[in-house]
Amino acid sequence: MLRNELRQILEKGLHDVEADWTVPAAIINDPEMHDAERERVFGRSWVFLAHESEIPERGDYVVRYISEDQFIVCRDEDGEVRGHLNSCRHRGMQVCRAEMGNASHFRCPYHGWTYNNKGSLVGVPAGREAYGNKLDKSLWQLKPVPKLDTYKGLIFGCLDPDAQSLDDYLGDMKFYLDIVLDRSDAGLQVVGAPQRWVVDANWKLGADNFIGDAYHTMMTHRSMVELGLAPPDPKFALYGEHVHTEHGHGLGIIGPPPGIPLPEFLGMPENIVEQLQRRLSPEQVEVFRPVAFIHGTVFPNLSIGNFLMSKDHVSPPTSFLTLRLWHPLGPDKMEIMSFFLVEKEAPDWYKEESYQAYVRTFGISGAFEQDDAENWRSITRVLGAQYAKKMELNYQMGRGVYEPDPDWPGPGKAFPMDYAEANQRNFMEYWMQLMVTDPAPHNKNGKVSDAAAAEALTRAEA
Amino acid sequence: MTTATEITDATVREVTEWLFTEAELLDAGKYREWLDLVAEDLSYVVPLRVTREREADTDIVEGMTLMDDDWDSMEMRVLRLETEYAWAEDPPSRSRHFVTNVRVAAGETADEVAVKSNLLLYRTRGDVATFDILSGERHDVLRRVAGGYRLAKRVVVLDQTTIMTHNLALIM
Repeated sequence: MLRNELRQILEKGLHDVEADWTVPAAIINDPEMHDAERERVFGRSWVFLAHESEIPERGDYVVRYISEDQFIVCRDEDGEVRGHLNSCRHRGMQVCRAEMGNASHFRCPYHGWTYNNKGSLVGVPAGREAYGNKLDKSLWQLKPVPKLDTYKGLIFGCLDPDAQSLDDYLGDMKFYLDIVLDRSDAGLQVVGAPQRWVVDANWKLGADNFIGDAYHTMMTHRSMVELGLAPPDPKFALYGEHVHTEHGHGLGIIGPPPGIPLPEFLGMPENIVEQLQRRLSPEQVEVFRPVAFIHGTVFPNLSIGNFLMSKDHVSPPTSFLTLRLWHPLGPDKMEIMSFFLVEKEAPDWYKEESYQAYVRTFGISGAFEQDDAENWRSITRVLGAQYAKKMELNYQMGRGVYEPDPDWPGPGKAFPMDYAEANQRNFMEYWMQLMVTDPAPHNKNGKVSDAAAAEALTRAEA
Repeated sequence: MTTATEITDATVREVTEWLFTEAELLDAGKYREWLDLVAEDLSYVVPLRVTREREADTDIVEGMTLMDDDWDSMEMRVLRLETEYAWAEDPPSRSRHFVTNVRVAAGETADEVAVKSNLLLYRTRGDVATFDILSGERHDVLRRVAGGYRLAKRVVVLDQTTIMTHNLALIM
């Protein structure tokens, strides 16, 4: 149950985000808000876990998180992608304590219960003597992620067994995801492993920044503007489109200002350009052709950055693709997992240039990324205080300035410039809707559903 | 074939002094002067590590790093800090490089030495009463030039997989 005070803040917030285009500051750094968010947002949304290229071989695994729950995401012996809660059914111990690797079995180091990578309990030490052959192993397999599905190589999990399908959840956002994920025949590969680091900031600030905030570039990244790595035209994001879809997703797509000679299709190598023109629809090709920057967020915490950028102040720009996960660790703390991806079939020179451009600009040491973290931790600290929490934050950019773009070839609600905050409002509105929606009735008052009760009964009888 | 440098007490003393001088420049924010101590063919890498089973050959990830710089990108970092808008380090962090366990060995060529050292980097920002610490081992190649040494190569192997500081804006 939401405390009345929280509910009032959120219901007023829902009203204000539509009527006044403001958002309550209290959603950023408040422990109770965070507790509710874990259940109501992360307990219901499809959360990105891994890319299929991270576990290409049978037995490959990585350990990933949905809120606090950790899952072994693996490719089982039949080649199927699975997600198991990383917790032994006997006492709850982690059965996998490495971040990644290859294993046919996971054995609990506490008492030795052993599971295969399909999650089945296959070994219980002294099973016959200790349990008198009465332990039905089939009832004690590793808990699966309630829902697991993939879209174009992205593996998502969802803790709500009654959630809509991943396909429906992504909805119109798929049109734009395909431009990034599906533009080559052999697809993308995650190179190495994600960089991981902890920032004293709320995860929503990363999601908010990537979903629509082209506005911060000229100030936050001004040092890089001066060095020529970001567009010198302070109005560069006027030459872009600002698009959002249902379920809080959104992105910005920016082309070069008039008269600036940038290559088409993010300057991708010829073979990839040839493939994408064949693979994508004419509308997707039309959207992608003039692009220099794509930034977006798949609700709640997966962001995409596909940028044309130089690896230093003397080199020409190369495009790179990063996915990042804003993994919440508390109201004022997140772990960033930053993935670098590249088309498997891109030439080696491009892979190398693209990697260097990513590491030096948008990795943990990147000359752009550094300044973003500085802002987000400062905001989080300030908004954790009682007087600051009562503020409304201004989400009014574009009010009375722009109208939806009737000529945009893609789905969703589009605006003809990327200096806008429609995506951010859409994200916050959906987040607040989830927050005020109580769990399904059968979960109320601590009662369990019929199915769960039946399972418990079966287990007791076994 | 070139002969490797003979490592004398004097060499060890010179190298150690060089590392301490470098640390002093970095902690004082004198990045332009630090750049003068760097060779033009610099390779500066901070590998990415992950937690692996003991049976894995290495926990260092191939193909991805936390930093991978050369002379040009290091100059970019210094030029950036010299603008008025490098917010990640303005106001600057207070940092302290603790450099210990210096081990000097012969390099691959007569004018190079291979130096390992332990690094503890303390960092604090603003008026927040907390701090970040990075611990790691440096593997340096120092090249002897007229009047001293230049850093030709540095690999900093950090002792964390999930890094507990909000960015790697400091030179390690």
